[in-house]
Amino acid sequence: MKPAQFEYDDPQTEDEALDLLARHGDDCKVIAGGQSLVPLMNFRLARPARLIDINRIDSLSYIRREEGRLVIGAMARHTHLEHAEEVAQGWPLLTEAVGWVGHAQIRNRGTIGGSVAHADPAAELPAAFAALDAKFQLRSKRGSRTVSWDEFFVSEFTTALAPDELVAAVEVPALDPGTGTAFVEYARRHGDFALGGAAAIVKLGRDGRCERATIALLSAGPAPVRAKAAEQQLRGAKLDDSSIRAASAEAVRGLRPTSDLHGSTEYRIGLLRTMTERALTKAAQRAASSTS
Amino acid sequence: MSIVGVGHRRLEGAEKVSGATRFTDDVDLPGLLHVQLVLSHQASANIRGIDLDAARSAPGVIDIVTGADLPSVNAPSPEKPLAVGRVFYVGQPVVAVIAESQSAAADAAALVDVDYEPLSITVDPVLAMRDGAGRVLDADEEADAADASMHGAGTDSETNGATPRRPANVSSVVNLKRGDTDAALKSADAVVKATYSLAGVHHSPMEPHVSMVRPEPDGGMTVWAPTQGPFHVRDEVAKVLGIPTYKVRVVPMAVGGGFGGKVTLLETLLVLLARRTGRALRLNLTRQQVFAVARSAPAASFDIELGAKRDGTLVALRARFHYDNGATAGWHGGITGMFLTGTYQCPNFEITGYEVSTNKTPVEAYRAPGAPQAYFALESALDELALQLKMDPIELRLRNATREGDPGPDGKPLPRIAMIECLEEAQKHPLYTKPCVEGEGVGIALGSWGGARTPASAGCRVEPDGTLTVHVGTVDVSGSSTGLAMIAAESFGVPLDKVRIETSDTGVAPFGPLAAGSQVTYSMGGAVQEAALEARRQLLEIATNELEAAPEDLEIVDGRVTVRGVPGRFVEVTKLVAMSTEFMGKYRPIQATGRSAVQAASPMFTVHIARVRTDAETGEFQLTGYAAIQDVGRAINPPEAMGQIHGGVVQGLGRAFGEQLAYNVDGQLRTSSFLDYELPTADQLPDIDVKLIEVASAVGPLGAKGVGEPPAVPGPAAISNALARATGIRVRDLPLDRSAFVRR
Repeated sequence: MKPAQFEYDDPQTEDEALDLLARHGDDCKVIAGGQSLVPLMNFRLARPARLIDINRIDSLSYIRREEGRLVIGAMARHTHLEHAEEVAQGWPLLTEAVGWVGHAQIRNRGTIGGSVAHADPAAELPAAFAALDAKFQLRSKRGSRTVSWDEFFVSEFTTALAPDELVAAVEVPALDPGTGTAFVEYARRHGDFALGGAAAIVKLGRDGRCERATIALLSAGPAPVRAKAAEQQLRGAKLDDSSIRAASAEAVRGLRPTSDLHGSTEYRIGLLRTMTERALTKAAQRAASSTS
Repeated sequence: MSIVGVGHRRLEGAEKVSGATRFTDDVDLPGLLHVQLVLSHQASANIRGIDLDAARSAPGVIDIVTGADLPSVNAPSPEKPLAVGRVFYVGQPVVAVIAESQSAAADAAALVDVDYEPLSITVDPVLAMRDGAGRVLDADEEADAADASMHGAGTDSETNGATPRRPANVSSVVNLKRGDTDAALKSADAVVKATYSLAGVHHSPMEPHVSMVRPEPDGGMTVWAPTQGPFHVRDEVAKVLGIPTYKVRVVPMAVGGGFGGKVTLLETLLVLLARRTGRALRLNLTRQQVFAVARSAPAASFDIELGAKRDGTLVALRARFHYDNGATAGWHGGITGMFLTGTYQCPNFEITGYEVSTNKTPVEAYRAPGAPQAYFALESALDELALQLKMDPIELRLRNATREGDPGPDGKPLPRIAMIECLEEAQKHPLYTKPCVEGEGVGIALGSWGGARTPASAGCRVEPDGTLTVHVGTVDVSGSSTGLAMIAAESFGVPLDKVRIETSDTGVAPFGPLAAGSQVTYSMGGAVQEAALEARRQLLEIATNELEAAPEDLEIVDGRVTVRGVPGRFVEVTKLVAMSTEFMGKYRPIQATGRSAVQAASPMFTVHIARVRTDAETGEFQLTGYAAIQDVGRAINPPEAMGQIHGGVVQGLGRAFGEQLAYNVDGQLRTSSFLDYELPTADQLPDIDVKLIEVASAVGPLGAKGVGEPPAVPGPAAISNALARATGIRVRDLPLDRSAFVRR
């Protein structure tokens, strides 16, 4: 099937796009890579009256370091992130996470801004950004604002983005030396939506104890979940099988991932726990080898 | 010249892999209109009214048609081209919108408003059989289907003369009985008692269903369709239009995957619409519509009791099973009964199979219909029995295997079969003999298919350039045309690249069977061989005259007819053809016909070996090795046979990995896209080692047997058996629930 009829604009600049959004915000959709929107439109589950195509706005397509932070333009494609050397060096969690996104063809088109704005709770990058304490630059004709990931992700497919706003960029703080990161997920077939996944960041002190641990989960709730209590529990602890197991059990406490055809709530909780254990173990190993 | 038995690339392979093949949706006709269906979103409801006003005024709309607008068609109510008064399943076509473009038709269809009065819904087949359950089909439609009690009953089997009262929503009951099952089970040393079930699955052809029709000036109709059975479509269209068959021309198009699901589906409706509008029409289904409209394979459940003596000798089998047929009367049970009773020697059995109707999309044949279901139950139960008896699972099967002369699945004495050879080959296969590493398990399962056969004919013409055109009316869904070309090339005496198989339309093609039932090469091979030999005879007849030599002294070498042993005496084939077609010529044109009617089936057997490891935390399993050992009689084109087996293995394993048609209580399909309907993917599969066994058929062409269906049969039991041995956990329902294998 093909989509229902819609109006189409292809602004050449960010300002043009913001003008159009100010005018049509309520009944339009921004299209970037189209990897989620177009299938929804072809199924006619989404029937936007107007599409604002931002593919021609080159100023939104970049990945660069700014004052130590990583700044990713909204129109950067997944494949750019996947293959950017500076990302692999400084933010390997993103490199690892983006490899789990769909298939190569999808990553060639899909954009970072699109993934963030779509806010699928099973998506990899929102969880990775949550782990990294990323902020999102939002712009509209009314001005610019920067919101943290936890203000931005509200619920399934729901964000703090106003109808006239555009996600312009993602800001990711730098990681301290001696930090290890890991991203793991479980899907029955590569490219499927994850039934459970975890991103972990571990920083070890000189004494080998955990100085900082961050755990973010995907497919765990309506938005990316940060397991704060488990993170707290690991601070100052010696990272071994038993402390990781205990923290992972803590990480999934109170979670109620939705039961469906692909897995019951109980099964999914078990998966999240396993993914957390595996992510923490890997991250700890990487932290240890980076400090040694 | 040796062509048959040597590997050749598929003749149409390059065009398929390069995307050049022209499918039905790629063909255009001047003035072509497009049809979009409005499907029922209710599983059981009366149609109170249909509001077409908004749709009629939509741009580009030419006509909108409801069931009431069509002439009466003799078909059960759920199977009318468009619903009349009532709907029986979600996805049943209710309205057809005809418009200038596909998009216009889709836009207008969205504006059609059908007012339904919901009726009670029957989704679960077990509940459907209870007294007082809502009736899915009208009583008279149910009663039309006779009990299939005698389907496949062995000569010494008895059927329950007086069939017991049929439970509600059961269109027919299969009853097979021999000996005293009760007593035998009581005296057995070991008994497995368990329930096994399989979800319904869909053929999932890469090419969605599509058809195009054009009314002809003589009142006839031309149909372009990717059908497995052009003659079948022709007859059906002629019947529904009430015109002679010669006025219907079916042009068989490339089939982008059929597997039993592409015989006829949309054609009856389309020709009625085309007659009404007088215009050429095309209807192509979206993938979601394919899941909802195009019939699938039934779900099934089996209660099994299987008993044996301490030495493994089977003493009794009791099986009570049902098929969930959706809104139609089913027919899989008879075939299933034959496999349950005819594969192993078992002196006592009692088989009862129910064909249940529910408010779901009606079912259809799908690659070895009735066999994957029967063998998942039977081969799982045998594995459980082997574990109980602490016996090697292959030994257990060898001890009970049927042999030549034993009554086969159809009750008749079996011809020479290769069940033992397949089992013995598996027994010495490295995947079976090599010790398992920690956490690994190896499982085996057997499968078979009886095989179809249909009389067939073929034409053969020698072209002016010396090439051969073989005319057939049977389509190629498996690479079979390459095999037929190889038979023709070898029979006539030309290289393979000089032969073209022309699959013609029903107006001119020699009659050929349905491309189904693993029968194309088996049924057509002899006809093509005879046609090519006859063409050769006709050519040599002319050469005999020209060369003044006896036909038995002639041979065809490098495009020349030569006199054996006399190097200088030859005549070019092209010259002979020219002489037989020239103005004022004296020789008759070379135009040969070949016919065949294979007199008996050649049952096919296969054994699969699966090796698995599991992840105890996620419950996920990974195949670490897989082998398929299959008797093909004689492989006409060995890589083609192996390719068929690869595809069949994967299609069969899909039932275990995750394919399922899952419905909610309202009869809504929850797996109507490839997002939720989990087809197996390459990352789930290891290399598949195929071992061809060649025990020649006494009746098949050049010793060949069928190939296509057996490989889709034993996979799910093989993998489930391997998992049980790797983990100690037996999962008896398909698809396999990963959470069952979690151990923390």
